[in-house]
Amino acid sequence: MAMGKNLSVQLLDVRKKIGTRVLFEKLNIVVNPGECLAITGPNGSGKSTLLKIIAGLGQPTTGAVQVWYNGKQLDLEERRACLGLISPEIILYTDLTGSENILFFTRLRGLRCSQDQIEEYCKTVGLAIYKDQLVHTYSTGMRQRLKFALMLAMQPVLWLLDEPSSNLDADGKMLVAQIISNGLAQKATVIIATNEPWEAEYADCKIELV
Amino acid sequence: MPTAKSSLFNGIWAIFIKDGLCEFRTRYAVSALFMFALISLASISMSIGIVSLPVELTAALLWVILFFCAMAGLSRVFVQEQESGTIVALQIYGSGQAVLFGKLLFNVIVLLSLTLLVIPLFIIFLNVDIYRWPIFIVILIMGDIGIAAASTITAAMVAKSQGKNALFTVLTFPILLPQFLGSISATTKILANIEPNASEIVFMAGYNVVLMIASSILFDYLWYD
Repeated sequence: MAMGKNLSVQLLDVRKKIGTRVLFEKLNIVVNPGECLAITGPNGSGKSTLLKIIAGLGQPTTGAVQVWYNGKQLDLEERRACLGLISPEIILYTDLTGSENILFFTRLRGLRCSQDQIEEYCKTVGLAIYKDQLVHTYSTGMRQRLKFALMLAMQPVLWLLDEPSSNLDADGKMLVAQIISNGLAQKATVIIATNEPWEAEYADCKIELV
Repeated sequence: MPTAKSSLFNGIWAIFIKDGLCEFRTRYAVSALFMFALISLASISMSIGIVSLPVELTAALLWVILFFCAMAGLSRVFVQEQESGTIVALQIYGSGQAVLFGKLLFNVIVLLSLTLLVIPLFIIFLNVDIYRWPIFIVILIMGDIGIAAASTITAAMVAKSQGKNALFTVLTFPILLPQFLGSISATTKILANIEPNASEIVFMAGYNVVLMIASSILFDYLWYD
């Protein structure tokens, strides 16, 4: 997909019920390019579930999530092709090095990414000297940084961030803040599920789950 | 800034290279497959001594060994992704067709490599004479592609159903049965120094094509729903 950034996400009366428990209902909102939606709420309130529904990895019980790109509604395959997801559920290959992971996923998405570009992305997230080490030697914080390097390499139009600064130190949190600011400046559509007040500060609109 | 290019073949190749690299570093599937084949052939050889088996039984033994080798290792391509959690990243960043055919290509190459190792052992341990090598090689390639194609799609179904390996053989065998019987029949003729009918080879090739088309259609439902 061409990466001119003109993508909006629309939630239409979205409701999710698991067993007898209604996680959320009557969610209606539109997130436009360059805007940020924050999804907040206590643990177990359904933040990650809602993010997975927006990513197309799950279905709402009723209602719909529509993703529009240049006036065209995207199907599930097209939606996945234009998003980047940072989540505890995204697990990278521990038998590959950091740079091999980036190379693999960019190739898989049909992008060409040179070793210089990979080095640059790894340097941006502070992994330059570790990029040729196997991921199973990485700490959880380094793995989280690698997910951001992958996000930078993918340059998605839709950013879905689930607790993006989890496991990161103070430097890492500043890095996340910088990356989110840059993404919004480049007109990416950003949706953050978070409990961190400072992450929610980027939001133009908010969904508070209970 | 990354640049977009034709993605399906690059995606297939990326999956193949990634699986190859991970396999090279862990050697899980290759070791399991090769040890299974070696132990089976050695056990049969020691049991029968110097007696030559009937060609029908010998041909069936070859394909049973290859089939159960496949069952021992080929499901890993999807089950491992599910168990390690990497399947979510694959679902987000990869197209279904690229993943399916990348995994299929990997399984075909693994099974062909295994066959390359098994055939000399098969000839030595079971005291077999092969008379028509070119056709025999074609039959092996067709049979291996069929086993790999059936294994790949059933591995995807098993991984999705959380049933893991318990269902894998049960699901794969009926799908593969027509191809399996064709392979045994054609191999029997080769071992008896009889030219197999061209229709048998065409049937095997055709069955492989149908299997891959059906897999391709089914896989999108597994991947996106």
